[in-house]
Amino acid sequence: MDRRIRLLALAFVACFGVLFLQLNNLQVREAKRLQHNPNEPSTAVSQWLLPRGDIIDASGQVLAYSTKYERGPGYVRHYPFGPLFADVTGAYDWTLQSNLYGIESEYNGYLVQHESTAHTLSGLLTQTEGTDSVEVTVSARLQEVAKEALAPYNRGAVVAIDPTTGAILVMYSKPSYNPNRLASANPGAVRRYYASLDPSSGSSPLVNGATDILAAPGSTFKMVTTSAIFDHDPAIATETVPVLTALPLPQSNLLLHNYAGEACGGSLAENLAVSCDTAFGHYGLQLGGENLAEEAHAFGFDRPVPIDLPSGEVAVSNFPAGSSFAANQPGLAYSAIGQENVSETALQDALVLSAIADGGTIMTPHLMAHVFDEQGRVVATYRPHAWLHATSAATADQVRQLMIGVAEHGTAAGLFPPGLTVAAKTGTAEVGNNNCSTDWLVATAPAGAGQVPRVAVAAMVPYQPGLPCDGTGAEIAGPVVAKVLDAALGYGS
Amino acid sequence: MTLGGLTRGLGPRKDGFGAPSTILGRWSSFLHAGTWPRTAWAASRRRSELGLLLVGGLVVLLATLLESLALSGALPDNSVQIIVAVIGIALFVQLVDRRLAPDADPVVMPVALVLNGIGYVMIEALDPHEAGQQLGWIAIGLVAYAVVLFALRRSRDLERYRYLLLGLALLMLVAPLLPVLGRSPADQNAYGAKLWVSFHSISFQPVEIAKLLLVLFFASYFVEKRELLTTPTRRVGDHLLPDLRAFGPVAVAWVISLLVILAERDVGFSLLLFAVFLALLWVTTGRWTYVVAGFVLFAAGAFLASHLLGQVSQRISVWLDPWAHPLGAGYQPVQGELAFGRGGLWGTGLGLGLVQQPGVLPIATSDYIFSAIGEELGLAGTTAVLVGYALLVGAGLRAALRARSEFAKLAAIGLTVTLGFQALIIMAGPTRLLPDTGMTLPFVSYGGSSLVANYILLALLMRISDEGSKASEASWRT
Repeated sequence: MDRRIRLLALAFVACFGVLFLQLNNLQVREAKRLQHNPNEPSTAVSQWLLPRGDIIDASGQVLAYSTKYERGPGYVRHYPFGPLFADVTGAYDWTLQSNLYGIESEYNGYLVQHESTAHTLSGLLTQTEGTDSVEVTVSARLQEVAKEALAPYNRGAVVAIDPTTGAILVMYSKPSYNPNRLASANPGAVRRYYASLDPSSGSSPLVNGATDILAAPGSTFKMVTTSAIFDHDPAIATETVPVLTALPLPQSNLLLHNYAGEACGGSLAENLAVSCDTAFGHYGLQLGGENLAEEAHAFGFDRPVPIDLPSGEVAVSNFPAGSSFAANQPGLAYSAIGQENVSETALQDALVLSAIADGGTIMTPHLMAHVFDEQGRVVATYRPHAWLHATSAATADQVRQLMIGVAEHGTAAGLFPPGLTVAAKTGTAEVGNNNCSTDWLVATAPAGAGQVPRVAVAAMVPYQPGLPCDGTGAEIAGPVVAKVLDAALGYGS
Repeated sequence: MTLGGLTRGLGPRKDGFGAPSTILGRWSSFLHAGTWPRTAWAASRRRSELGLLLVGGLVVLLATLLESLALSGALPDNSVQIIVAVIGIALFVQLVDRRLAPDADPVVMPVALVLNGIGYVMIEALDPHEAGQQLGWIAIGLVAYAVVLFALRRSRDLERYRYLLLGLALLMLVAPLLPVLGRSPADQNAYGAKLWVSFHSISFQPVEIAKLLLVLFFASYFVEKRELLTTPTRRVGDHLLPDLRAFGPVAVAWVISLLVILAERDVGFSLLLFAVFLALLWVTTGRWTYVVAGFVLFAAGAFLASHLLGQVSQRISVWLDPWAHPLGAGYQPVQGELAFGRGGLWGTGLGLGLVQQPGVLPIATSDYIFSAIGEELGLAGTTAVLVGYALLVGAGLRAALRARSEFAKLAAIGLTVTLGFQALIIMAGPTRLLPDTGMTLPFVSYGGSSLVANYILLALLMRISDEGSKASEASWRT
């Protein structure tokens, strides 16, 4: 029996020996390879160990801040408004399981701890490390209004811009997500939440609904078509279009029907006010594909919007190439009313509107207002500058005049407070074959003669279960825009 | 003058074997007389032990100091208490051993306490709340150690009550399944296992104690049936085989415990129990057929388990390729392996590893504490832990070689294999030699039940070692 005990001891020695060999393997032979493994958490953890500056809104409220983690070294990021600013701030996921989004990504260089800029000569000698705070142009007050206005819907987006500077005043979309949960100290919880957001889907809550979701703009595109008339063939503007219920399209036996089978026609002003599809189809055919495509391009279609968000979060709006219409005249008529292959983001629609509101110039849209250092000194300020000169001031003013008619006695009548001159346009874009619509409304004010519009709002509400299939832009998106516009200009409560 | 010599004169000398046998009598004999080391041999063993205990205490104190400097840049707030506690534990163990097991192996307790101390220092950095509880369990464990040595003066007493031991073991195995006691608490790292018994706020894993009782039962049963198990009496074809009926009771016991453990979904313990059973059977009979049959049975069992228990098949597939899902199911093993890589030869230093960051290495205080040690103490630290267990196994098998009775021999083997095999398969988990078994690293991991059970295990080994040394000493002197 004792011999067997000695054999057992030998067996143990062998087992311990194998374990010792494996430890040498892992800790010496493979150590370098393991240290360079992409799953090695050093990178993520070094991020976690660094403090991070605040993100504050236009009225000084804190949108994102970091606190010392109470159970060890490191900092936890907090977003006191939860999902309200998710599209703006993005989320700081220290585990890097997801990406950084929004301001957290775009201005990461300021927010993380870095060598602060020297302000004085002595400052040069005593270089210190610090974080900067980023102040954004949006405000909690208007975001709350936008959230409330979109409350009846599960999906939708609203953007408000100051047309004179390009400052984004509101950027809110649904569905949203809670950035706090992507910034949790528990990487397991981060992983689970991130997975639950279905990140690979195009309709994930992580996708910025205002800048990254494209939809046919429908009749809001008539702003561009109208502008094209004044820029390329002003004679059309004086034409009187025959009253029709359906427009026969060339190169085919197709008919372009008006909304709900209505009959319309007449002057350009009348046609824009009631959003006459047959008339605008006719205008498009008269303008020609090259002219219309050129105008759309001038308004920013097919160009990446240079907003200060990660480029992956900003979709490029589409208008078909002008040459493609030579053999596709029906497509030209549909494109002139914002259907078929035309698609744009809510941001792009707001930018088109801001050109109309700002004498033809599209100011570069931006979210950053200022960057401050820890002592409250301004480190950087966003200097507003033009992105595109979409059209002439004269054309912009003429289109704006026509759009006032839309709000006063056209498809957007009755939405806005009396006494406020609003230039608006509705859009009810049919999607798919079931005639359900994506509903749009854009509006800018004050738009009266001699007034300078201070805010341009665009809302998009895609068709979704629970909404009437035959809803219109004015019914569905109208109240959303009206609430945000009123709040931005101080009307109503 | 030595401490042994100093203390020897403290009470009236009395032969320990002649001590009164009633509990009350024993208690008074413990207070007034007892078996202080009577021989130069015993005294020198205890002196060695005291020296080792103090060196070990110094190691633990320095580790605490380094960790505190790393975490807070200052000495620990309660430095005095820590020093008092470490010295107190060393002296307590020395006193208990001098009085109750004077001839026992001097290496066992110092090694176990250093492992326990290093484990505690790791836990304190990783989870101060658990560390507080662990401290309480260390105290309970040491008291249990003393109580067992005190109450069990002769190992053969255990042999006598073998069916009582079996009954108790089965009761403890079933306890977590009883609705009154059992729970699978959400706040515990239960991971699908049903192992806990809770009474008020105290939770305990009775399987830890059951495992000791089963080992003792196997040992006594094998001793009794050794002849029957070894001698071939039945002819099957051309071969003579031992009477299979001899296996009856032990097979029943083994199958029941395996079934119960499987019902509780604790794969680690069934594997451990299986290994101990096989080792004892082989040592008793010397028949390789049993080992081969055992491995075949094990392979069949593992195959079945991987198909029947989702937990098992998942653990195996994660073990085979954790890098397939480095952020999902494989997160834990991947991070465990990466921690070894970061540690390298000398480690990052106590309290300075990335495992200190929240979430980098989940359950770092229990199943993956070996990875944490690997990062912070490097290959040097992991090797030290390995050597620690090797020393314990060595001491246990030495005790088996010197044991006075067949039963003591088998019990010592069973207990040693229990400890050594558990340490081996758990260290093999984070190093990816074996799939994760979800058990604790003896003396090092956080876990009250396992700590108490392991101190009881050491008490039993020390008792056997004490008896054996006395015997060999006697034969050496004559």
